[in-house]
Amino acid sequence: MLQRDFVQGRVASVPAPMALDALNYRWELAAAADFGSDVDVLNYALTLEYLEATFYELGNAKNLLSGQEQTYLTQVQKDEEAHVAAITATVKKLGGTPVSKPMVNFGNAFASRDSYLTTSFTFENVGVGAYLGAAGFIKNKDVLQAAAGIFGVEARHAAIVGSLLGKPAEGGVYMGAFETPKTKAEVLKAVTPFLASQMGAMPSGGVNTGGGSTAGVEDKGLLAVGGAALLGAAGTAAYVASRRSASEADES
Amino acid sequence: MSSGKIFDGMPVLAFQRETDRRNFLRWAGRVGVGAGFVLGGALVTTPLATAATDPTQGSSGGDGDLSILNYALTLEYLEAEFYKQGLAANLLSGRELDLVTPIEDHEQQHVKAITATVTKLGGTPVAKPMIKFPDGTFGSRDKFLQTASTFEELGVVAYHGQVPNIKSGDVLGAAASIAGVESRHAAILASLTGGKPFPSPIEDHKPMSFVLDQVKPFISS
Repeated sequence: MLQRDFVQGRVASVPAPMALDALNYRWELAAAADFGSDVDVLNYALTLEYLEATFYELGNAKNLLSGQEQTYLTQVQKDEEAHVAAITATVKKLGGTPVSKPMVNFGNAFASRDSYLTTSFTFENVGVGAYLGAAGFIKNKDVLQAAAGIFGVEARHAAIVGSLLGKPAEGGVYMGAFETPKTKAEVLKAVTPFLASQMGAMPSGGVNTGGGSTAGVEDKGLLAVGGAALLGAAGTAAYVASRRSASEADES
Repeated sequence: MSSGKIFDGMPVLAFQRETDRRNFLRWAGRVGVGAGFVLGGALVTTPLATAATDPTQGSSGGDGDLSILNYALTLEYLEAEFYKQGLAANLLSGRELDLVTPIEDHEQQHVKAITATVTKLGGTPVAKPMIKFPDGTFGSRDKFLQTASTFEELGVVAYHGQVPNIKSGDVLGAAASIAGVESRHAAILASLTGGKPFPSPIEDHKPMSFVLDQVKPFISS
């Protein structure tokens, strides 16, 4: 999928793997290897929340909306920022290291009110599926309560943005009688375009082992941390390999 | 709503089986605020006391997920019936009708899914209670949608209140997948009624006792 497809909202009619597959509901746990700990799940969520918060900060600054739409999207931005703050604090409380804010590129998402809301619609529905797909890995009950609480609010966002867009009630505003979980791989397919566009431009050096400490990594390299946290166990090896070869090429 | 309660604090349901009613009262009496519930529905004193001393109805026993599912099922029955009657009253049109119509279907599917889950887990699904909404609930578009909005918010906090209590991962997944849909309903109904679709960055959660204080049984049950 091309990034512009996602950004310009053609996604709803596009690739089967990332379509919001709501009508084929099934409860599935993501692969067991996806998350090793609550901190892993939270850092995965944090990267998504950073993407969302930044998306609305940039989008709302464009003054594409007015009236009730503007009011609603302003609140959505505040919600996502609150999620970032809450998850960051929780990771720290659990003794983990929160991933840093990834660098993002939303392409032409802010070209118009329609493109902005259409991209938002996709983002929110991906977020809903992401939380539901990851919930089964959370062991700490307090963390689970909070994650479920965030999940519900993402569902609210998704419904309202769908409504603003005049989407069909079923299959637009609502995605069936049951929310559909998305695996990490599915979520990655949806959001990697925003991160991957940065990877090629990353400075050499810095992170090369995945989502661990961010100490000493300069800002431009922080994407690697966010990206690697998302990629997690399944994707990190390939990602690191490609980075390593890129880095070696730079150095040679 | 002046009372701050859905249905203005009026009783709305009656159970067909004594075991269902006793279970309901047991849920309502949990978390130490049972006294408030008893005051609100004085009928319950005896059954509540009985339940509290009935070893087969232990509140912390292995029936936890089944109890939670039957609690959810009771609420879903109420919701499904609420929308069935509300839509039958022909109060809505256009986009509003489009947005509310699928909700009835969702609630009915929730009833079916939870019933199937209880059965699969070896439990007995609560029988559909007899339900009577207060006069005027479907008297106008505003009353119907305002009540629906309150009802959906109640459903959201009810599900989220049980998140930490559910033991089975599968049950949690199923409950969460329903809760997210209730959140969508709540947001849409808030927007249709001039309320706040995003009242909080993280969904609130409430114990069974809080929730069931709002959906009281009839004394006649």
